[in-house]
Amino acid sequence: MYDVTTGKARPVEEEIITEENVYDRPDETIGFFPGQVLKDLYVAFALLVACIVLSYTIPAPLSDPANTASVDYVPRPEWFFFFYEQMLMFFPGYALISFGAVVVPGVFVVLLMIVPWLDRGPNHSPLKRPFAIVVGLLVTVTVVLNMLLAVSRIINFPGQ
Amino acid sequence: MGMIGRVRSQTADASKFVVDWMEHRTGIVTLTEHFLYEPVPKRGAWLYTLGSATLFLITLQFLTGILLLFYYVPSIEDAWNSVYYIQEEAYFGALIRGIHYWSANFLLAVIGLHMAQVFFSGGYKAPRELNWVVGVILLLLVIVLAFTGYLLRWDQDGFWASVVGMKIGSYTPFVGGATIHFLLGGDVVGPATLSRFFALHVWLLPAALAPFIGIHLYLLRRHGVFGSEFEYTERLAKLHENQRLEEYARYELDEGEEEYEDGENGYGDDYGDRGDYEDRRS
Repeated sequence: MYDVTTGKARPVEEEIITEENVYDRPDETIGFFPGQVLKDLYVAFALLVACIVLSYTIPAPLSDPANTASVDYVPRPEWFFFFYEQMLMFFPGYALISFGAVVVPGVFVVLLMIVPWLDRGPNHSPLKRPFAIVVGLLVTVTVVLNMLLAVSRIINFPGQ
Repeated sequence: MGMIGRVRSQTADASKFVVDWMEHRTGIVTLTEHFLYEPVPKRGAWLYTLGSATLFLITLQFLTGILLLFYYVPSIEDAWNSVYYIQEEAYFGALIRGIHYWSANFLLAVIGLHMAQVFFSGGYKAPRELNWVVGVILLLLVIVLAFTGYLLRWDQDGFWASVVGMKIGSYTPFVGGATIHFLLGGDVVGPATLSRFFALHVWLLPAALAPFIGIHLYLLRRHGVFGSEFEYTERLAKLHENQRLEEYARYELDEGEEEYEDGENGYGDDYGDRGDYEDRRS
């Protein structure tokens, strides 16, 4: 509560709260407007500018018209499916594909949904929930690694 | 000068009238005030922009999606041509399609960051569990939207990626075959598939997405962002306590004067309705 670095003379318990300073504590709250709204607008504006610039520098792709007769075309999923596509490489053959393509992601989604009931402790701080954090980091690392693997595969074997 | 003063006061009166009129009929002023001036934690303000950025990008998706619909034709003969026309010929077509494409890409990335932020800060803990669940549902809807959008271009990439995706889906135990057959509208990706993906992408999924966004925001507003809510409720309570004491002291003073005046009437010792008065004032 009491932030030494902000130079507040008194800890929060002793501070006299008035209409003016009720949202003032730098370590506590700001009004949604304009404090938070401004920050949201900065980010939104940056994203919009990025989208506009990219629209002209790297136009949205459009390959040749679909040819249902071509048999040798190697489709690429979009980048956010890379890790999923890569994961399927670990489940080769018809015996395993159902397991790898559907059952494993399905279980993962269910686990993701029930995260709040798997980690019910009263602590919010990452330092006080080591198990949840380690699992979260492992999942993140797995997804990122799989994406990198997919990218390197695409670069190394463009035709496959 | 008198003129300016009159115009000023008339304008002030008119705007006051409009505001009062709207407030009386809709409550919009109180509502706006409530939404705008709600205190939020300062500490995570930049992190919380991830959620609003997600909302902003989805809004961009809706807007540019509507504009793309002005030209897009969902049939296998015309789909690719209409997309090509948008990209190469239509006024600002490349920009609108570019924003749709790039904001979709950013959307997936920002959602990932948003989820990671909520996960690592423990934002899903009681009483915010259901908002996490709604968030996961939103993630799944966005993924399906991204997948169905890919086919609509009807180019080689989108077409064959969808063929592969459908193939993978058909391996789902028990329900895979029937579900995929329904989505394809037959045995292979064809005209019916394009119609169905189009219906899903522009109608069903956005319609499903909107109410879940509403619930997500409602629950966010109800519980506030992660954890810090209790800090400011305590602080506000303390402020109100202070104001009450102050008012009480002032009243005490008024009462003293009145007491002196009323003394002759014999009301001096009657403090009975003080609480009542206090209530009516606040």
